[in-house]
Amino acid sequence: MAPQTRKAAIVGGNRIPFARSNGAYARASNQDMLTATLDGLVARFGLQGQQVGEVVAGAVLKHARDFNLTRESVLGSRLSAATPAYDVQQACGTGLEAAVLVANKIALGQLESGIAGGVDTTSDAPMALNEDMRRVLLAVNNAKTLQQRLSALAGIRPGQLIPEVPRNAEPRTGLAMGDHAAITAAEWEIGREEQDELTVRSHHNLAAAYDRGFFDDLVTPFLGLTRDQNLRPDTSVEKLAKLKPVFGQGEGATMTAGNSTPLTDGASAVLLASDEWAAEHDLPVLAHLVDAQTAAVDYVHGGEGLLMAPAYAVPVLLARNGLTLQDFDFYEVHEAFASTVLATLKAWESPEYCKEKLGLDAPLGSIDRAKLNVHGSSLAAGHPFAATGGRIVATLAKTLHEAGPGKRGLISICAAGGQGVVAILES
Amino acid sequence: MSDWYRDFANSGVGTTITKQLGLPRPAELRRYEPGQPLLPGAAVVGSAGEGRLRDELTRLLKDDGVTVVSPVTVDGGTDGERLAAVLLDATGLTGPTDLAAAHDFLAPAVKRLAPSGRVLVLADPPAGTSSPAQAAARQALEGLVRSLAKELRSGSTANLVHVPLGAEASLASPLRFFLSGRSAYVDGQVLAVTTAELPDAADAEQPLAGKVAVVTGAARGIGAAIARVLARDGAHVVAVDVPAAGEQLAQVANEVGGTAVALDITGDDAGPRLAAQLVARHGGVDVVVHNAGITRDKLLVNMDAARWNSVMAVNLQAQLDITQALLDTEGALKPDARVVSVSSQSGIAGNRGQTNYAASKAGVIGMVRSWAPEFAERGATINAVAPGFIVTEMTAKMPLGTREVGSRLNSLQQGGLPVDVAETIAWLAQPGSAGVNGQVVRVCGQSLLGA
Amino acid sequence: MTRTVLDAPPALPALFARAALTARGRGGDLPDTRLARLGVEVDPAHLADYARVCRFPLADSLPVTYPHLLAFPLQVALMTDRAFPLALPGLVHVRNQIDQLAPIGIGAALDVEVWAERFAGHVRGATVDLCATVSAGGAEVWRSRSTYLARGATAPDGAPDADVSVSVGELKRVNAQWQVPADTGRRYAAVSGDVNPIHLSGVTAKAFGFKRAIAHGMWVTSRTLAALAGRLPEALSVDVAFRKPLLLPATVTLSTEQAGGGWDVAVRNATAGTEHLLGTIRPS
Repeated sequence: MAPQTRKAAIVGGNRIPFARSNGAYARASNQDMLTATLDGLVARFGLQGQQVGEVVAGAVLKHARDFNLTRESVLGSRLSAATPAYDVQQACGTGLEAAVLVANKIALGQLESGIAGGVDTTSDAPMALNEDMRRVLLAVNNAKTLQQRLSALAGIRPGQLIPEVPRNAEPRTGLAMGDHAAITAAEWEIGREEQDELTVRSHHNLAAAYDRGFFDDLVTPFLGLTRDQNLRPDTSVEKLAKLKPVFGQGEGATMTAGNSTPLTDGASAVLLASDEWAAEHDLPVLAHLVDAQTAAVDYVHGGEGLLMAPAYAVPVLLARNGLTLQDFDFYEVHEAFASTVLATLKAWESPEYCKEKLGLDAPLGSIDRAKLNVHGSSLAAGHPFAATGGRIVATLAKTLHEAGPGKRGLISICAAGGQGVVAILES
Repeated sequence: MSDWYRDFANSGVGTTITKQLGLPRPAELRRYEPGQPLLPGAAVVGSAGEGRLRDELTRLLKDDGVTVVSPVTVDGGTDGERLAAVLLDATGLTGPTDLAAAHDFLAPAVKRLAPSGRVLVLADPPAGTSSPAQAAARQALEGLVRSLAKELRSGSTANLVHVPLGAEASLASPLRFFLSGRSAYVDGQVLAVTTAELPDAADAEQPLAGKVAVVTGAARGIGAAIARVLARDGAHVVAVDVPAAGEQLAQVANEVGGTAVALDITGDDAGPRLAAQLVARHGGVDVVVHNAGITRDKLLVNMDAARWNSVMAVNLQAQLDITQALLDTEGALKPDARVVSVSSQSGIAGNRGQTNYAASKAGVIGMVRSWAPEFAERGATINAVAPGFIVTEMTAKMPLGTREVGSRLNSLQQGGLPVDVAETIAWLAQPGSAGVNGQVVRVCGQSLLGA
Repeated sequence: MTRTVLDAPPALPALFARAALTARGRGGDLPDTRLARLGVEVDPAHLADYARVCRFPLADSLPVTYPHLLAFPLQVALMTDRAFPLALPGLVHVRNQIDQLAPIGIGAALDVEVWAERFAGHVRGATVDLCATVSAGGAEVWRSRSTYLARGATAPDGAPDADVSVSVGELKRVNAQWQVPADTGRRYAAVSGDVNPIHLSGVTAKAFGFKRAIAHGMWVTSRTLAALAGRLPEALSVDVAFRKPLLLPATVTLSTEQAGGGWDVAVRNATAGTEHLLGTIRPS
């Protein structure tokens, strides 16, 4: 057993460009996308036929046949077939949680290397049988005689033929995520213009990063797509102002298709390792994953916003590491909705909220906005749920590496079910 | 499309028809495959004058398992087997009268040459003598070899290698190249070797084992073929191409067990970035193949600045910048590195509508020649390979007529394949090719253009 | 030799119908004809459908067997032509060889050319090879040789002996078991265009002497190659022999064994052990 823990190194990452739902990847399955992403990573780091310790990934929307999605993708990839793999799922936190799991095993000495990833398709989403129909078919399947079968089939009613399509809605509230976010936006009085401004910055930052080749060693084109399909380099506050709100009600409705993330297809993967493994393989260390924290809130009955859990996770993480919110060179706050980012930042600035909800003596304070999502985030890139974590980890790791040694970055990702995953990276 | 004309001309009916019409009959070329013997048959070695290479040649051939038959049998008998190669040591030429001996040896031997045979003449460089008669005789060989190359049929080639006094040891690598299937599409060429420090013999099957090779433009076409051949010869290939070609690039890298690097080589910091990665990830690079190239054809009078500039940036400036960055970065370029630049027949012969492309590709030749002495000092080499009509995606876009004519305008009467260019580059990349430096090797089947 | 370039793929259902009507009165030697299509582009949606039916991953390069779909309609057109000596109905696909020389990208414009050759004698009749070559950017990237057996037919005098066997290792170990549903032939017909009635339903198959519908040999080949996705060389030679027909529905087993840098494969009936497909996959 390892006598003490070590920090897992982030060696690099790969993702395919993210496509809009029913866009370039309309016919690609989760397995297709994850396999292509792994193969791109293999090519980048010369891992053909090699065994990495573990591959950990997941998808939020999954077909029943994909129960072993990650392992199946590994088997279809150029990695050694002797590479173990398992699936995880923590909604939009999946990708980051996968990275934390791999990093923790590396920290404990159980792994020398591992790949963390995530994938999601909203184009090839599974449809479930209507619950009544499912019961009828189970009965047919269990029937022993033709007569039993016929009588079971006779139970079918037209309404049962309608499949259940997965919706981007919370099972316990029946509200779409956007509706939840709109409630939070209204509570925190997040204005339309500041949301649109954040959105424009995301697009411009992402476009600039592509233009200067920042993503050359982070992205591998797939099915003809070379950049994120959602990216609008020429968008502006004026253009976004023309969009009609799609979430929220009446005068206070501020959330549009522009300042909310669209449904997206894509996949990402991150290569983590011990420093020793990286050195042995002559591979770079971009950054280390220092620590991580999750939190959850009672958004159903507890009066907290669905996407506010990161606000709770961050102070715990800061306290454990003896840091303040201002001790970071870069912040990667996942842009599920522009309003989510703004509400979270506002919450940390609020003495009242920090005292009452977070139990802090003083507010965490404000951050330097110039350090926020400097290479764009989900509003521009899109958000294939489980793939977002891998995108952010690889992007931040490279950002820190470019900035030089000793730089520190904070990742904050909100997830469905009122959850949040946050982490610290250091170069 | 398959070479339907070649297949047709070699079919039963086709043979008759093409013969009657006097149409060319392009042959199936002998191409290299690992494990193949150097030659599929016997070789004969002759000399004109008192040469100094004959014994060395015979020894090299025997070391490679080639049966060497004596010229006398060839001269007299008709029962001997057909010859896979005819080698002439012409280092003994003192004046034009000695050339008669060359003719006396070659004529009966060439008559017995098997399909895909090889004629190789070895001589001193004309500039290496102060005697006008001797220089005349040496220069005369170029006319002889180039004409003979045009007379040979059935995929046979003829080439000339200049071996100055003292550079005899450098001959082994070119000798093997010209005799083997690697040189299938190299015909009618004159190559000069120089004195160089030669490494111990490498594994013949894996001459590039343990070497790191970077190939630009590796995602498709000739670049992908280069990556495959270098990997086959044992190198770890770092495959570079523009980010937009990343998917094919990853595929090529995975296929050859190499590493993919998405990089726009015309970027400001492309050279330093690549150099830094080669140092950090691979401990430096042994082989650099500048293959990336683009065309933006227009007649000069209609050509806009964008066409001119983009072709220059990719085809020439990037080669200069990346090579310089590798030279400047500590530990990037191994002392005995091999740099091979892809030039083009257009750079030698010119091509209508390609002032920009031809200028860039001619520029590459100037670059290689200028850098060669500096490279030689550190035990490295830099050479250019100039492909002629190579059947690729680029040529597929040509109109059928142009394409067909283009592919036939050479002594082998067919277009070359990407692998022909790749084999030539892989040969120049070998440690044993230390004595080949500052050369321009045309892979053109002895094209009629710019010959 | 004559070479005809077609602007569009021939319509297969019409060809099969014509073949049935003109089956009688054929004979003579193989026609010296080549059919070609130039600049064929792959429809990504069709590729996705095909990949699903055969279980290939969807990626930027074509599955090894995909180009067969481009060549097949031309080969059928060649075989249904009156000049072709054998009647298409009743021809049984007995062996298939594919050489993939380089990976083929989805975006490539492909030139496809087909011809027939090697009319050969067989103990149960005669065989003929339908060949295809596919080029991208002027260079050949893929070629195939499909051997068909015409039961009771006679090869011309002096014809060589047919070569329809592929030798493989023992392949004792079962690596996978597949349930092959009854609609497999219809599903593959829908994506491949091979609407030969013997694959479509029990009734139509009976008309040609089969007890039930039989699976397409090329589907079995594809499904086998798909099972080895990620474990295949990029440039490869596939050689499969189709033994006993795979009657639908069925449960079959796949056995694979590493050999010669590639694989030996066998698809057999799960209970009876009847051999449906034996094949070799080698790097080329």
